[in-house]
Amino acid sequence: MRLRLSLLWAAVASVVGLLVLAGFFIQTPILIALGGSLVGLAVLLAGVALLLGLYNLLSVHLRKISLQERGWPYSALLVLSLLGTLVLGVFFGPDNPVALVLFNSFQLPAEASLMALLAVTLTLAGFRLISRRRDLLSFVFVGVALLVLLGTGPWPSGETSDTYLLIIDVRNWLAQVWAAGGARGILLGVALGAAATGLRVLLASDRPYGE
Amino acid sequence: MIAQELLGPAVLVLFVGLILGFAMLGRRWPAVFRPLHGLEALGAAIERAVEAGERVHLSLGTGSVTGADSAPAFAGLAMLSRVAAATAMSDRPVVVTAGDGAMAVLAQDTLRSAYDRARAQDRFQSTSGRMLAPTPFSYAAALPTVLANEDVSVHMLIGSFGSEVALAADFGERQRAFVLAGTDDIQSQALLYVTADHPLIGEEVFAGGAYLNVGPLHRASLRAEDLLRTLIVASILIGTVLRTLGDLV
Repeated sequence: MRLRLSLLWAAVASVVGLLVLAGFFIQTPILIALGGSLVGLAVLLAGVALLLGLYNLLSVHLRKISLQERGWPYSALLVLSLLGTLVLGVFFGPDNPVALVLFNSFQLPAEASLMALLAVTLTLAGFRLISRRRDLLSFVFVGVALLVLLGTGPWPSGETSDTYLLIIDVRNWLAQVWAAGGARGILLGVALGAAATGLRVLLASDRPYGE
Repeated sequence: MIAQELLGPAVLVLFVGLILGFAMLGRRWPAVFRPLHGLEALGAAIERAVEAGERVHLSLGTGSVTGADSAPAFAGLAMLSRVAAATAMSDRPVVVTAGDGAMAVLAQDTLRSAYDRARAQDRFQSTSGRMLAPTPFSYAAALPTVLANEDVSVHMLIGSFGSEVALAADFGERQRAFVLAGTDDIQSQALLYVTADHPLIGEEVFAGGAYLNVGPLHRASLRAEDLLRTLIVASILIGTVLRTLGDLV
């Protein structure tokens, strides 16, 4: 019985995937409408899954609070914040003044700080790369990064000096010839890999929906 | 015009044909892949984690199931089935996090199936597949807590990420964990090259299933990708030569 159900799910996934794919390539009104409806259904299900995700988030942190695991006060704060903003959003709408204040005063600065932290992290990681992986590619990587930084930012000596113009030329040559060519090659590989992953789901070899 | 419309389906049919062909040839003509240090070292790192009673963490990224960037997370789910089986006998089985609710549900389904196959159903916990946070940077901000509280020593990032991946990988490095990371975004791959111990560049993020022996179709699809890439590169080179010669004449 379980095997049959597993085959049924695989068949449903394959047929739905093929219909959406066919609608992309064969522009007939029926296939386009069917593909649109199926994608709409998937978006709807993803919305419901977000609620399941929130339930999952709550259950993880409620468990931590009940067992008083390490860092449980933070979990308590998270649960209170989640429920508070959820109630605000559901009853007063997402654009009510209190929700906006919460977003602008907590969410936005926290995420902006993490963005700022990223610059520091990358600088430290650049030094660490040289100390950890002392090979030619690491030195080339860091050297090119420094050169691009020098050619991007303003110079105290002005932007008309010969050295600055030379660095700008080298930066453009690196970015437009070497980096763009390499990026296209990498993207080609990524596209083929993504297509193969999708095809394995269509062929029911990969079954992320369970067996 | 019609030829152009038929080109896409023709390439897909060729791709499927090559995958199935290589799958049938697989036993008589086994695939030999180039060494990928990160994926080869992963098995030993997982064994060490299991023996030390530490946790393996797999992040499926901050992309959604319905987005165009879901493919690397699906590759991560394929690797998850293998990693879950490898850690099924551990006291602390693998924990999976995602930034999308649907992805967390798929992770739970994959874990349940993997434990069923390993006859270790009691290892499954619904909290082993988690949605951490819905936005990229809040997801990254939540990671250190998971890494520290769960005693993670193998930190895998296989999914769709933006620039937050640099923080996610760096948190693993600070924990002195084995960090294996790959994504589809090219700028994020550059960040991973600096921050992760074992970065996966380009299509390597999709090759995990083949290197971890998830199934014959994984190895077959990697061989099909290699052949198609060779054909595309040859076409580009021939086109460039012909165009150059045409300009010269």
